Amino acid sequence: MKEYSQDLSSLIDNEFDDQEIIETVLGDVELQQQFSRYQLIGDVLREETDGLDLRIDVTDSVMAAIAGEALDDNVIPLATPEKQDNTVVPFMKRFGQYAIAASVAGVVVVSSLIVNQDDATDPSSTPVLSTVPFGGAAAPVSLQATPAQTENDIKERNERLEALMKDHQLQLQTKP
Amino acid sequence: MNERELDLQLIQRIQNGEQQAFALLVRKYQTRVANILTRYVRSSGDIPDVSQEVFIKVYKSLPNFRGDSAFYTWLFRITVNTAKNYLTSQSRRPPASDIDAEEADSYDGSGALKDEDNPESILHSQEVKQVILKVIGGLPDELKSAITLRELEGMSYDEIAQIENCPIGTVRSRIFRAREAIDKQLKPLLEN
Repeated sequence: MKEYSQDLSSLIDNEFDDQEIIETVLGDVELQQQFSRYQLIGDVLREETDGLDLRIDVTDSVMAAIAGEALDDNVIPLATPEKQDNTVVPFMKRFGQYAIAASVAGVVVVSSLIVNQDDATDPSSTPVLSTVPFGGAAAPVSLQATPAQTENDIKERNERLEALMKDHQLQLQTKP
Repeated sequence: MNERELDLQLIQRIQNGEQQAFALLVRKYQTRVANILTRYVRSSGDIPDVSQEVFIKVYKSLPNFRGDSAFYTWLFRITVNTAKNYLTSQSRRPPASDIDAEEADSYDGSGALKDEDNPESILHSQEVKQVILKVIGGLPDELKSAITLRELEGMSYDEIAQIENCPIGTVRSRIFRAREAIDKQLKPLLEN
């Protein structure tokens, strides 16, 4: 009995997580009466019982009155603390995309600075900013310039782009 | 586990058909309900009947309890409504000044519609109080301090452990030993 009494005392103080004590108390009338007295000690100390007749315990009469009375089947589910949908993941996804883009941009800037720094050691070499694209040669920008790509090339590229766009949209639609 | 979680667990059990769990809720809250009723019910002889009515209403309304608010707040509303209905049935007007759920815990009821004409009940109540205070007064300092910090200051075991500079397990044990000592004297008094 004593070991449960200490658990009962902890239960009164809401300092007990084990379900076993609740099960034990519900099946033991003596422990329930002890629960009442422990509760009463606190109530008296907090002066919540002034003017009350402390000999009166309505538990038995209430339980007798509701005996055999089943609760309505349409029970509204209790609002228990729910696990929220993880909104961090989409945020991190988006943030990750920005982070990757920023990293790439950073690498480009740093590498261009390093390249330029190396060049800067040689006073004869000049261009501070390299205008030559990473891809290699640049096509001349002019209205009269001969198109470097044929119509077929453009058509093929547009089709590929369109296919990519469709694929992207499809992925967005199928995403949960 | 906090008070709200324990109440929700008991309610869940009741909703699952474990009616006995309701007895624990009644035992836990009947003094507080009676204390609120003293604000409205003039005759202390009627308080047990109205208390019973409150808890029966609570039981029947449990399927509608959503758990959005604390169980005590919900119980408080039912108690006040039942008390007002009681007054209406007695053709009396409810008191002009209402109290709300937050005030209810600290409400001492002094000056309310209390029946002061029941000397036997007052005597018994005073006797219970005296016994509890006397036992606490005779407890070793560490037990006295633990039970006082818990019951009067409402501190958690963790907070008491920090103040007393001891492990939580020791706090748990001290509070229990204090209650056990009081209960030893209290039990015969309540049974008689």
